[in-house]
Amino acid sequence: MSDYLIETKQLTKTYGDQAAVKDVNLHVKKGRIYGLLGRNGAGKTTIMKMILGLTSITSGEVDVFGQNIKGHEKRIYPRIGAIIETPGFYPNLTGTENLEIFARLRGTAAPNAVKNALKVVGLPYKDKKLFSKYSLGMKQRLGIANAILHDPELLILDEPTNGLDPIGIAEMRDFIKHLSAERGKTILISSHILSEISLLADDIGIIDHGTLLVENTMKVLEKKNRKYILLRISDMPKAMLILEQEFHVTNFDMYDGHTLCIYDTSLDMGAVNKALVMHDVSVISSQLCNDTLEDYFKRITGGEGIA
Amino acid sequence: MLNLVQTEFLKLRRKKMIWFMLLAAFIMPFFSFVYYNYFEASGIDPVAFYKLAAFGYTPFIILPFVLGVFCVVLMHDENRYDMLKQLWIVPVSKMGYFFSKFIVVLIYSIVFMLISAVATVLFSVLPGFVAFEWQSVGFLAERCLEIGVLTAFAVMPILALAASKKGYIFPVCMTLLYVFLGFFITSISMYLHPVSSISVIIARSGNIQGLAFAQNINVPLALFCIFIWDALSVLFAAFSLRKRK
Repeated sequence: MSDYLIETKQLTKTYGDQAAVKDVNLHVKKGRIYGLLGRNGAGKTTIMKMILGLTSITSGEVDVFGQNIKGHEKRIYPRIGAIIETPGFYPNLTGTENLEIFARLRGTAAPNAVKNALKVVGLPYKDKKLFSKYSLGMKQRLGIANAILHDPELLILDEPTNGLDPIGIAEMRDFIKHLSAERGKTILISSHILSEISLLADDIGIIDHGTLLVENTMKVLEKKNRKYILLRISDMPKAMLILEQEFHVTNFDMYDGHTLCIYDTSLDMGAVNKALVMHDVSVISSQLCNDTLEDYFKRITGGEGIA
Repeated sequence: MLNLVQTEFLKLRRKKMIWFMLLAAFIMPFFSFVYYNYFEASGIDPVAFYKLAAFGYTPFIILPFVLGVFCVVLMHDENRYDMLKQLWIVPVSKMGYFFSKFIVVLIYSIVFMLISAVATVLFSVLPGFVAFEWQSVGFLAERCLEIGVLTAFAVMPILALAASKKGYIFPVCMTLLYVFLGFFITSISMYLHPVSSISVIIARSGNIQGLAFAQNINVPLALFCIFIWDALSVLFAAFSLRKRK
């Protein structure tokens, strides 16, 4: 039995010649919050739809609870709660009536399941307000209430904070954390908001243009976003030689032939500058930097930042 | 399946339009009353009144159109508000979903025709056009029940079409086309269109005067026509629902 509740292998989805998702290998561990981070249109929703069997897979495999979902829907779906895109409900019914329909379809046995689910998301039980009169935030909450109605082991939440006000977002975050920490739920959550994912996720996958660029634990990613010395110099080969021979620096990266990132911040910058100048290497700039997750995101996606 | 059908009825709460559409069951009984009242008729053959009030335009045009619109109403919200993916991950089987909708259409159709039968009796007996006889009323009720059941099967293509489309304009337009095609095609062949095949089945005993057909009455062929259309509709629904996520 695999350690992962969700595992995708070389998952690919193409529309004509265009690849929406390319060779994605995703690993969601039991009891953890996995944040799928990417810009709008990066392929997050498509991946979630493929995991749920809501869209066909061009190539690759998806295992949920160690099984391929196709052919095992009746066994696997009751263990999953999901909201994909903006959840839709019957506009002529109230929130309670909508949930009662889904509870009946699922055969939810718990007598207060609807009441409890509404309470958790902060919506009133037996309210007379019709779904058509709900605000976007209320609709989103009802979608989450529907996802947790049957107490599933796995939650797949596609941008669940869309449309929520800042207090609602904070409440939702606490609620998701509570579900994972206190009730042992495994959660796959997608967002284009980096701060959202960084505050929530235990594990993170960064997706860009359909490709999963990075998959790691949040702790490891935070370590990567460390302090470093940024040097812009005129002669890269000479500078590297000096750093290696005189300062024994091996942990550095080079960019564009004139930029060096040195990750050993204990170096005496004055001595480094002096040594470089002495060997006819012009130091254009030298500064101590502190990379954020957003900088990291920019760096690996090779483009603009994210919200 | 029972659970699915029950939830289908729950989904219809506060949809006043579907109750309003039931008023259409009174249209032909009322016009028959106006017609015979104009001629100050009395003591007429009950079947002659029933033919105009319940066996004429009602099964040919009014009921199929009302049911077509009802099918679109049943499918529209789930298509428009993108709810199908939420249903599939419950999981609700795609064909279970389709057939539960069909059963609701069937029940609605039977209720419609029973209302039409009651209205026919009221508009014929109360003004004194026909004398009340259990035998003729029983004949009316039986044929209305048959019309109710058969017309639900006859509009299955509309239900399948409504299941495949997000909007409602195209299925409603196709309902109009389908209904009038059934009406006009009867003069060419009664075994090409399910709606015209129904008229063959209800007139099978030959005691409904004035219902004239271009071909001989062949009930198995009429049933076969309905069966073929329904089988194709089920296949089409299965295909389109599989594609719709």
